[in-house]
Amino acid sequence: MNELFNLAPLILVFPIIGVLFNGLVGRRFVDHDRKTGERWSGWFATIMALSAFVVVVLLNLALHANHFHAETVMLWDWIVIPGQGLSIPWAMQIDTLSVAMMLVVTGVGSIIHIYSIGYMHGDPDYSRYFAYLNLFLFFMLILVAGNNYLVLFVGWEGVGLCSYLLIGFWHERLAKDGTMKNANAARKAMIANRVGDAAMILGIILTFWVFGSVEFNHVFEEAIHIFESHEEMVTLVSTNIEMAFSTALFAITVLFLIAATGKSAQLVLHVWLPDAMAGPTPASSLIHAATMVTSGIYLIVRSNVLYELSRALSVHSGTISSSDIVALVGASTALYAGLIAFTQYDIKKVLAYSTVSQLGFMIAAAGMGAYVAAMFHLITHAFFKALLFMGAGSVIHGMEHGHHEVAHGHHGHDDDGFDPQDMRYMGGLRKLMPVTFWTYLVGALALAGIFPFAGFWSKDEILAHANANQGEYGLFLVLFILLALAAVCTAFYMGRQLRMVFWGQPRHEAARHAHESSPIMTFPLVLLAVFGTVAGLFNLPKVLTLEFGWSLTLEHWLEHSIQTFELMEEGILAHVPHTPTSLIVEVAALSLGLALVSMGLAFYVYRDKPKTAADPDPTQKIPGLWSVFGRLPIDSFYMKLLVPWFNRFSAWLGFKFEWSFWHDFFHERVIRDTFVWFADLSANVLDAQGVDGIVNGLGSVTRWLADGIRVSQTGYARTYALSVFLGTVVLLIYFLWPYVMR
Amino acid sequence: MTATIDWYVALSAILFTIGALGVLLRRSAIIVFMCIELMLNSANLLFVAFARSLGDLHGQVLVFFVIVVAAAEVAVGLALIVTIFRTKRSINIDEINLLKG
Repeated sequence: MNELFNLAPLILVFPIIGVLFNGLVGRRFVDHDRKTGERWSGWFATIMALSAFVVVVLLNLALHANHFHAETVMLWDWIVIPGQGLSIPWAMQIDTLSVAMMLVVTGVGSIIHIYSIGYMHGDPDYSRYFAYLNLFLFFMLILVAGNNYLVLFVGWEGVGLCSYLLIGFWHERLAKDGTMKNANAARKAMIANRVGDAAMILGIILTFWVFGSVEFNHVFEEAIHIFESHEEMVTLVSTNIEMAFSTALFAITVLFLIAATGKSAQLVLHVWLPDAMAGPTPASSLIHAATMVTSGIYLIVRSNVLYELSRALSVHSGTISSSDIVALVGASTALYAGLIAFTQYDIKKVLAYSTVSQLGFMIAAAGMGAYVAAMFHLITHAFFKALLFMGAGSVIHGMEHGHHEVAHGHHGHDDDGFDPQDMRYMGGLRKLMPVTFWTYLVGALALAGIFPFAGFWSKDEILAHANANQGEYGLFLVLFILLALAAVCTAFYMGRQLRMVFWGQPRHEAARHAHESSPIMTFPLVLLAVFGTVAGLFNLPKVLTLEFGWSLTLEHWLEHSIQTFELMEEGILAHVPHTPTSLIVEVAALSLGLALVSMGLAFYVYRDKPKTAADPDPTQKIPGLWSVFGRLPIDSFYMKLLVPWFNRFSAWLGFKFEWSFWHDFFHERVIRDTFVWFADLSANVLDAQGVDGIVNGLGSVTRWLADGIRVSQTGYARTYALSVFLGTVVLLIYFLWPYVMR
Repeated sequence: MTATIDWYVALSAILFTIGALGVLLRRSAIIVFMCIELMLNSANLLFVAFARSLGDLHGQVLVFFVIVVAAAEVAVGLALIVTIFRTKRSINIDEINLLKG
């Protein structure tokens, strides 16, 4: 084992030092001297993130030196129950998959830390923000580095906490109608994630029950072993319960899917992610676009063996497999969220629905068995979506400054309709914010899947996979159509956004006065734009790699962590090498063509509309789009049906069941009244009459007896002498009687 | 006619009866007291008589003990009577019933 692997714990140590610094003393620094304090607070956190990144790079080198073989870095025994076979270590799994995730998390994370230094400038809770950001890195690294499901779950919950904290970062800010918008958004995220997390816990418990371990390697080995030994039934650990192996596998994988739909914002638990945009934009960028929301994809890719086996079993029995469900959920989410993005005016909400849609692509890819494609899209998406969010942050910053200037010029004129995030107030920012514009353009083209930007390669790989396997699998045609339509939507709403924000005439005074953000914010944009352009190189299709002799593709990198199987005739699994994705020219041309046409169409449709902020959106003419998707059907379902019913049920539970039944009836009438009756009985009847009666009676009897006997006590010596005399006589008679009788 | 043991027993019985009646019937504390002495001495007489007749010295030894006890009794008893007389100016035992229940 390479010495460098021993550095692994440092990736957790650095962020937690940052948390302690910013959480404990950062605030004093900032309050004491704003300028230097901000510098200390922000840069300390950034350097901690960068240090973690450096360690991850070293781990990467260690993996190379180790011929890509995974290593487990054992830290300590965590939960051990002797005799039950339960032993869960706190250990880190350093393999190609986890290191790929770590590189994204720390790499993009570091860039976003730098950006935040500029973005959060002047915020009263500057150091708290950086403490949260470092805490997020800490938990995210636990999540991806854990070698078992339980450690993963710790990270999973931790990032959920950080997400909650950062969405509600400005929790005291109220919406215009006085609701606690940000705090509600944070709660919404927490509640939606609860559903997924509950499924996750059940999945982990079932995993332990079935396989007797929660460590990835053990679980996967055991799963393959059971599959190959053709055991139909498995006995749950420590019980006598028997369960069909296929059922158990299906349940585990579906539970993990539900967990992923929570964290990765898939149908029908996606509702929290668009609202999560209430948080600071860099946090949205890091947590709600680039890293945390990809945890669900990571979970499924990590559990690839289970999903593959589920697919193999269902091929055997001809039923639907959990992998198919995963793919369907992903593909429908991709299209659904893509359509909703048409109807959003908030620049960040468009990106948020876009994120939901792209996560759908990844989930769909993982469901189709294209784990590498899923990871590839995850990585490229992390770059360009982080870029887009930070670009949007830069735009919002510019708009706010413009609004400030306008308000200042008009001597306190308060424009209460203005919203710096609303695209209807923007327009023509291309010339005012050139760096933001060009980098945003790169991000948008990458997201839309335009050649040669990163998104083209990764999205094409997913589409190619859906296309390639159509023949043997009817479902893949459906998936292909859904995903292709989603890709068309992506190009359209990004075209719409670009046109509305950067081209045309400013539709508000603030947009006229907007200006470019500071270099500390634009530098990370440029850096990410470079990645967004070239990240496709990580996994160029086979044709091209052979051409250029490029051998270090993500495909080869990940094949050391992700196993693919082929089902042999006899039901035996054969490990097959990854087939490097080949470029299907027709699919690539189709997707590129559709994207270009769709984007061009968007530019045409929005060429001069909306002219003013009050104008309707041109797509409102499309029947059904705004009336169905614009109204956020699932949010509406929750808010109009589920939440009121839930509230009614809660009210019934609270007022009727709890208060009227339990409190008023059961506690007051049944328990309290019975008790009072019994206490009354005890005190006034049993005690006052029973016990007191006995004691008093004893006294009365004694007194009565004494009254009777006291007459014998005359006080005269003679009486006593007589009684002694008589007594003696009696005794004498008693003793002498036998002699007399003889 | 020799004095057989029966005579002694009869004398002792008479003496004891006199003493007992005296204790029960007389009012003067001094006389009650003397009657107690009479009963003790009737017992002594019986002891001595049986000791002689049976040739066993144990009875005679016991008489000395009784005399000692009687002497101590006299000392305590007379002191009591004197004290009672000082407070009540009378030694009529019918007037002394402080212990009446």
